[in-house]
Amino acid sequence: MSTEKKVTVRVTRRFEASAERVFNAWLEPERARKFLFATPTGQMVRADIDARVGGSFCFVDRRSGEDVEHVGTYLEIDRPRRLVFTFGVPKYSSDNTRVTVEIVPRGTGCELTLVHEGVLTDYVSQTEAGWGKILGGLEATLSGMDVAAEARA
Amino acid sequence: MPTATTQTQLDHTLLALADPTRRAILHRLTQGEARVTELAEPFEISLNAVSKHIRLLERAHLVRRRKAGREHFLSFNPEPLDAATAWIEEQRTLWNYRLEALDALLRAEDEAASADAVKKGRKR
Repeated sequence: MSTEKKVTVRVTRRFEASAERVFNAWLEPERARKFLFATPTGQMVRADIDARVGGSFCFVDRRSGEDVEHVGTYLEIDRPRRLVFTFGVPKYSSDNTRVTVEIVPRGTGCELTLVHEGVLTDYVSQTEAGWGKILGGLEATLSGMDVAAEARA
Repeated sequence: MPTATTQTQLDHTLLALADPTRRAILHRLTQGEARVTELAEPFEISLNAVSKHIRLLERAHLVRRRKAGREHFLSFNPEPLDAATAWIEEQRTLWNYRLEALDALLRAEDEAASADAVKKGRKR
């Protein structure tokens, strides 16, 4: 019996930029602060990155006067192909979720696939593992070019 | 972030889906209404065990019960699955927004670089 219930999101996107540049943007504070945990209406007031396996990061997004921290730890750094990190938002939940970023060169650009394994609840309840596959079946993989318009600022 | 109520509902939903027998029962009900006895037929477990599975499905509101005289008819209700898919959709929207922003950022750098006519093909 597991006490965690996970659900998985997978998103794919093509970039014209090289795999190296796309990969590095995740670990350079000056670039990461502009996209990673930024929200359309928030303001990124802090972005600390210790880009080592076992190192941690902390991004603080100021949303309507409220500071929202995103913290996590790097589990794998395989430049420029694969990056795995945990992250959580302590203000909202004690759960840590896990993100895997995989980058494959395509022509002069690259294709990025991101998998976000999320924990849906803090509650300890008796759920067997394996249902993630069912929910996974509910997903349609996005084509990288098809960006939700409502997500734009 | 989901509210506590949504989370409890989600717990019930996920627990209900966590068992192959219950998934099979649901699958049968997606094809139309059925009596408990009809549902139990294909399974090599007691009617009592099937009833327990159905109770869990009812608690998750994945199954509705309709009484007609002494007969009980069960049917499938897809709504509870919406909470789980809502979380997925929310995260997907967020990540798309972030990747769009990353793409825009790198494109802006490229444009700035060509504007400066600095084309040394620097790898950053």
